[in-house]
Amino acid sequence: MNEAIKINNLTKSYGNHVVLKGLDFCVQQGEIFALLGINGAGKTTSLECIEGLRKYDSGSITINGIMGIQLQSASLPKYIKALEAVKLFAKWNKTPLDKATLDALGIYELAKKQYYQLSTGQKRRLHLALALTRNPDILFLDEPTAGLDVEGQISLHEQIRQLKAIGKTIILASHDMTEVENLCDRIAILSSGKIAYIGTVKQLGKTIGKHYNITIQTENGTEKYESENIGASLLSLLMQYKEKGEAITDIQIDRGSLEQHFIKIAKGE
Amino acid sequence: MGAFLYGVSLQWKLDIRSKTLLITCYIVPLLFFVIMGGIFTSVMPEARYTLIQSMTVFGVTMGALIGLPPSLVEIYSSDIKKVYKANGVPLYLGLVLTNISAYIHLFLMSIILYIAAPLVFDAEIPQNPGKYFISLAIFIAVSLSIASIIGLAVKDQAKTSMFSIIVFIPSTMLSGIMFPMELLPKAFQTIGKLFPASWGYQLMTENAFQLENLLLFLLIFVFAIVVCAILLRRIDT
Repeated sequence: MNEAIKINNLTKSYGNHVVLKGLDFCVQQGEIFALLGINGAGKTTSLECIEGLRKYDSGSITINGIMGIQLQSASLPKYIKALEAVKLFAKWNKTPLDKATLDALGIYELAKKQYYQLSTGQKRRLHLALALTRNPDILFLDEPTAGLDVEGQISLHEQIRQLKAIGKTIILASHDMTEVENLCDRIAILSSGKIAYIGTVKQLGKTIGKHYNITIQTENGTEKYESENIGASLLSLLMQYKEKGEAITDIQIDRGSLEQHFIKIAKGE
Repeated sequence: MGAFLYGVSLQWKLDIRSKTLLITCYIVPLLFFVIMGGIFTSVMPEARYTLIQSMTVFGVTMGALIGLPPSLVEIYSSDIKKVYKANGVPLYLGLVLTNISAYIHLFLMSIILYIAAPLVFDAEIPQNPGKYFISLAIFIAVSLSIASIIGLAVKDQAKTSMFSIIVFIPSTMLSGIMFPMELLPKAFQTIGKLFPASWGYQLMTENAFQLENLLLFLLIFVFAIVVCAILLRRIDT
């Protein structure tokens, strides 16, 4: 598989605040790759540097293909109609209107609505349509489902899968782990301006498999424990409670969610 | 070229949908014409000789300084510019399209005044219509170029309105269109000459072009284009 994007030792600072401390990663052609991180981790800065919207301090970025970009915070003139915007961008990029894609995104239903009359979900769909007007090989989606209702999220996820099916490379910035689990082939978790984890969601899931949360309830209250070895830990805890003479009223064991694990990695714990 | 013309026609439609430009380029100048035209010609009957020019200078100054900057602020002080850049649309396009559209609107408004003034107030048509319309074309271009600086330099709508009014009021009050320049105190005459409206009024009322006047307009226009280019570059980075 060929590389669609290759990032090498990318750094970026705002004054004294270092946001990116040497990012290294690559995105393969045709995959859905997610850049994850808590707020302020540097996701949007990284994306904007790769997209060419922001200057970076050092390092290198190699892009193989035409880019289409859907920004997290995007806007258009208040009175422009949805289809007028798509036509303007398509004409300027000298690309024909892809009627099937516009139909799938529901742009023809919005054709006569002016920008300020569109809902958040409709605006997201329009900006995705604009990003697709250049018939890009690589599509950047920054928090694509932020502010969308459940129906809007499901519909957008389906459209993203269809784009992957026709060979587009998709780079997604998100902090929604459910979205990432459903959509992505590989993820990178950003923490304090560096890549703290890179790999498949499955690999991340396997590491969670070794981790257990134990909650023990007694008449005196509730205690929480964490363990990597459930058998030994449970036995030891039961002995401790027996020695103390405390009667256990309930025990709960869970393996921790992908989300909890993501937060730990993202916070550098 | 097709994309550019589509952009111009689209901007023209957007300006009509936006009430701001409709009000500043048509409604207020034409209302001003109806009310002040009546007052001027009844108080000073000789005002009919320069009524077309004075009303046009007011309308163009108002449409350019009050009407154009909000459209530019909407594009360049919001995420619209990022969407343009991200999708391969050059940053200068918004500036060029809004200017061309505003130019056409202001020219149309000036033609309405040119036709209506003789019919309503028996105003005298300029002796040399060809020279008048060339002067008008120059004056609109220069007024829009100054308005563009305000629209690109100021970041929010409230401040834009304040700066526009700061330039608009002395432009109209001290340009000679309300009161003859000779009647103004010397200091106000000097201040009035700092604004293109007074030179525009002079350009449109004279029967022949004067090199000094034309050079001044050329200088202001080139200066404004250079400043706009610098401001666009700053916005881009």
